Amino acid sequence: MEDTQYVVLKKDRFEEFIAALSSMQKLVAPVAKGFGAYAFEEVTSADPIALNYIPTILPLKKYFMPQRETLLEFTLDRRSHAEAVVEYEPLTIFGAHTCDLAGIQCLNMVFSERPKDYNYLLRKGTITLIGLECNDYCDEYASCHLVHASFPSGGYDLLFTDLGDYFMVHINTVSGDRIVRTAGLCEGAGSAHMNELRSLRDRKRTVFRNEVPIKTKLIPELFDAVFGARVWDNLNERCLACGNCTNVCPTCYCFNIKDELDLTLARGIRYRVWDSCQLEPFARVAGGINFRKERSARQRHRYYRKFRYPVDRFARFFCTGCGRCTRACMADISLKETLSELIKESEERVWKKWL
Amino acid sequence: MKKPKVGIFDFACCEGCQLQLANMGEQVLSLLGSLRVMEWREVMSETWGKKLDIAIVEGSITDPHAVERIQRIRRRASVLIAYGSCATIGGVNGMKNNFVFDEIRKYVYGDSYAFFPTEPTKAVHQVVEVDYFIHGCPVYIPEVVTVLKAALQGIPYYVPDYPVCVECKLNENVCMYDRKVTCLGPVTRAGCNSWCINNGNICYGCRGMVSNPNEKGALDVLAKYGIPTSLVVNKMNMYNKCRELDEP
Repeated sequence: MEDTQYVVLKKDRFEEFIAALSSMQKLVAPVAKGFGAYAFEEVTSADPIALNYIPTILPLKKYFMPQRETLLEFTLDRRSHAEAVVEYEPLTIFGAHTCDLAGIQCLNMVFSERPKDYNYLLRKGTITLIGLECNDYCDEYASCHLVHASFPSGGYDLLFTDLGDYFMVHINTVSGDRIVRTAGLCEGAGSAHMNELRSLRDRKRTVFRNEVPIKTKLIPELFDAVFGARVWDNLNERCLACGNCTNVCPTCYCFNIKDELDLTLARGIRYRVWDSCQLEPFARVAGGINFRKERSARQRHRYYRKFRYPVDRFARFFCTGCGRCTRACMADISLKETLSELIKESEERVWKKWL
Repeated sequence: MKKPKVGIFDFACCEGCQLQLANMGEQVLSLLGSLRVMEWREVMSETWGKKLDIAIVEGSITDPHAVERIQRIRRRASVLIAYGSCATIGGVNGMKNNFVFDEIRKYVYGDSYAFFPTEPTKAVHQVVEVDYFIHGCPVYIPEVVTVLKAALQGIPYYVPDYPVCVECKLNENVCMYDRKVTCLGPVTRAGCNSWCINNGNICYGCRGMVSNPNEKGALDVLAKYGIPTSLVVNKMNMYNKCRELDEP
């Protein structure tokens, strides 16, 4: 069997391929930051790229919706002139795991809703995404299989799968095809290659199992039953409200919009910055009232924004199982543990449905 | 718009935060373009002594003379900005409050200590009303500019009421706790853009604590990393000793 959507890149040509990629436009890839941490950073050669890495400190959203982004420039003269601003530069991202690709798929849905977010969408149009399939779990914090993100399901231009002394490359878009043609370093995939890919996927099916004892389709039902659970009180005692879990989350997109004048007080900009529902001032409103003052309510909100609310609105979970929130939590609040405890607490009420 | 008259004053401090203004580089020119500096002992010899639109006050209040002086400044100024950790939270001068005053006066001034009266160190807002707070040791210039612009516009400035961790994560630093180093970022309010950690240092808590810290949770985290509570209390007290004077 041959498939024109698949090509093969031998590993001894990988360096050349990365050099070619970086000569086309700015290239970012996962690099080691020490102490077991990784980050997507600009690279110009294959040398610093970490092919075997656990999810980076910040997910890919930092390229799609930067931490601080100007939206508008305005003047305060009599005409009150205002001009929309979109800041972007063409970018190739190499080495995105399937969890992070799923994260971008979620953000795409959010920012495509009306009113459309043109800053996001215009920038997204200039970003090329090259995925890298995980052959194994990155570490014990991941729960990607539970949310169907352990296997590739689109959202990339090219997908690399490590098959020993070569990468299988799946061409998913026209711009992915253009990269392969321009680089000119790949060869057609034969039936032997396709068989190797298939047997890798078969092996993965035995490695990746639901990380939490629940059928995925029953998660929304679980959350319908646990709004008043004691688990949230426990989180109230532990959570430091540092916002790490949401800042590192690939699908948390909340932002704050601020205006700032320059020192002449005659011109200014409107910009947006990442915000987090875990922070004390997030739900503080006029009159000093805070409608999510308790850390338990904020943590619960975070979980419902991952596992319940988006199911109704976008028909998918907004957790990609990357495990970042668990890794980044100094108080050891673990997503897998929280889900397991919720299951335990609700068992009496709904246990029959899980048989 | 008429340029506001500004006075810059110092109390017990190292005057390093004033130096930060001089360190601003080109921005200081546009800053000076929108203000009339009437008094600034560190950089000019003229004095003014009359009404001011904005008083920028550095340093903490540590003796009876300082109390009288800050009250006079407050009466002269429409807007008062507490500038730098010594002024906003008491800062390192607060460490004095750990000691018996007669003992430390003898230690510092010897036999003539009786000529040098002292009082518990206080932040400026613990003596007179403060309109704006610019935290930090030293102050972070982008925040200084933001607060001055808010003061010029007559709108409030909200000091970020969340921990330094927020900005630190946005800067994608490797967590100090993952480097096995104790850092006060998790309980210290942000606004400095995690300046110290970006440059390889830890957070010393110079901006004061967030308004609603989870103290029990923080103790659990310290226990998890095997850090003695006393060590962190000492670290915290380096800048935050005067916090206890705030409590009702």
